[in-house]
Amino acid sequence: MSIAVDHTKQISSTEEISIPLSVPLLEIKDLSISLKGSKGQQRGRLVNAVNLAIRPGEMLGLVGESGSGKSLTASAVLGLLHESMDVSEGQIMFNDKDLISISKKEMRILRGKEITYIFQNYQGSFTPFIKIGKQFIEALRSHGKITRKDAEKKSLMWLERVRLPAERIFNSYPHELSGGQLQRASLAIALMFKPSLIIADEPTTALDVLTGEKILDLLVELQKELNCAVLLISHDLKHVLKRTDSMAVMYGGQIVEKGPTKTLQTNPTHPYTKFLLQARPVLSLEKPGKLAVIPGEPGLIAKQGCAFALRCPKAFEKCGTVPEIRYQENSHGTACHAVDIEGDEKIASS
Amino acid sequence: MFSIIRKRLLQLVFVVFVLSLFTFGLMKLAPGDPVMKILNADEMMVTEADQTKLRSELGFDQPIYVQYGQWILGVFQLDLGKSYMTGKPVINEMAERMPITAQLTAGALLVMVSISVPLGIISARYPGKWPDQISRILALIGASIPSFWLGLMLIYFFSFKLQLLPTTGIGSFSHMILPSFSLGFSLSAVYARLLRAGLLESLSEDYIQAARARGVKEGRILWFHAFRAALLPVITVFGLSIGSMLGGAVVIEILFSWPGLGSMVIDAIFSRDYPIIQGYVLLTGVFVVVVNLLVDLSYYWIDPRIKQKEEGTA
Repeated sequence: MSIAVDHTKQISSTEEISIPLSVPLLEIKDLSISLKGSKGQQRGRLVNAVNLAIRPGEMLGLVGESGSGKSLTASAVLGLLHESMDVSEGQIMFNDKDLISISKKEMRILRGKEITYIFQNYQGSFTPFIKIGKQFIEALRSHGKITRKDAEKKSLMWLERVRLPAERIFNSYPHELSGGQLQRASLAIALMFKPSLIIADEPTTALDVLTGEKILDLLVELQKELNCAVLLISHDLKHVLKRTDSMAVMYGGQIVEKGPTKTLQTNPTHPYTKFLLQARPVLSLEKPGKLAVIPGEPGLIAKQGCAFALRCPKAFEKCGTVPEIRYQENSHGTACHAVDIEGDEKIASS
Repeated sequence: MFSIIRKRLLQLVFVVFVLSLFTFGLMKLAPGDPVMKILNADEMMVTEADQTKLRSELGFDQPIYVQYGQWILGVFQLDLGKSYMTGKPVINEMAERMPITAQLTAGALLVMVSISVPLGIISARYPGKWPDQISRILALIGASIPSFWLGLMLIYFFSFKLQLLPTTGIGSFSHMILPSFSLGFSLSAVYARLLRAGLLESLSEDYIQAARARGVKEGRILWFHAFRAALLPVITVFGLSIGSMLGGAVVIEILFSWPGLGSMVIDAIFSRDYPIIQGYVLLTGVFVVVVNLLVDLSYYWIDPRIKQKEEGTA
């Protein structure tokens, strides 16, 4: 059942290959999401000028604490933002199509076929009173003509590929499955169309550690096989560091730092990223000391300027304006006034 | 599943028993004397001897519990006694009139469904927008108009002024339109609002978002994913209000002179025809319980999780 993947090897292999500099599959440009105010005027901004790009076959991790705008960004990509919000600025380019300006019908056809979504809440991934098999067939038939028989065959094949007892799961109601089984089934329904992009929104949060690991192993394995891009949203740094090619860190609706995962792990520049990495328990031979804590209240977001400014020990008057992302080598970008890109000594020395 | 049906059938027996006790008792407590009615005392002279003879024929000289016992024994043998007025078996009387009432109720249900379902869906699709506002106003109107008044107005406009539809009586499809509408309209308003609320709730569920993320068409999501869950509260209220719907049918039957169960029981009440009244109450009771059994069974169809829970506890 378990899939033996050597994680250390995985990381080193991505290092060798490095990220191919091909055309991005998905490019989010200056995306801002706002709450709709009364009479159409916009109120609070929830996501602010986010820039992200995923290349075909790449696995991009999006980390940040709850409420930092990770899932909102993902919902915007799928065109499934809640009615009370809308994209106030920016573009989401997917294969040269701007997902914000295409019609609802075009979006529906892309959704579930080209871009698929794996939800955090596996209980809500399937409609509770419809058998799993029926929902697989429904999804297949929503994207083109396929006979019921062929659809059934394909569904069973994919249920097998995620290592589920296909026949039984096919004829079960969602509540008759365990959490791990449901998440596997939603993996199957997401991969069935061989999409070019999978958005996995905290797919392991609601599962226990081992089951979560297995699901992610499976996702990585099938991703390699289908060569699709994955946007892995997580507040679990461990998963992201272990499995992604590149990552982006969000705080308060802004991207504070992004770049190749390896670079960010070894050489973080933004104070928030540094804190995040320090605040994570690491297995070592010595008896560990006290775990570092990020100062300030979680979810404390500055209304103006850098969202992290209120919690940042490096904050100074310039932080009242939103910092631009500035790039160092290897597409490693940081949005922080306090970071000196040239030498990076100001931070390192302190 | 079968254990649930069995449980419900036992409940049915109990409900009917209590119901019979109440109706029988209330009948005996109510003022008025069927003997005088039967003998037509208003119009002719009745001797004391005639009265005593009839009383003993009907068993009125025996203690109440004996009378009840005799009646309930008959009920178990499907013999509800004979009508005092016509002398025909109550069962036959009711069987004759049942199809007419069934026609009216079916017509009203049809009107109700064909108004409330589209209205509910439209207002759930555009909450707060003008279709929703219109349906809200319609619902308010529907809920506040008494069905007999609506019936009178309909007769006035469609039969009297426009002369499109027959005023009273039964027989053809056109006879059914006005009564069905009078009975169904006020109900449809309530159900449209219930359906709207149910749909709004089920449409905000995670699984709806998941189905959208799979690229399922919006119409299919509405009918196959959202609608079924939204039916739960609607069906529950339907089961609870089926009794009052039958009550409404009585009024409509009188208004449109339909010889149904409703007008039968009204006549029976005025003439103190106890066996008919008791038979009607019994029938209504059984009907309400059976409908509620069906409602409960439909829960299992709508949401299979309920079945598992019940069977787990049974």
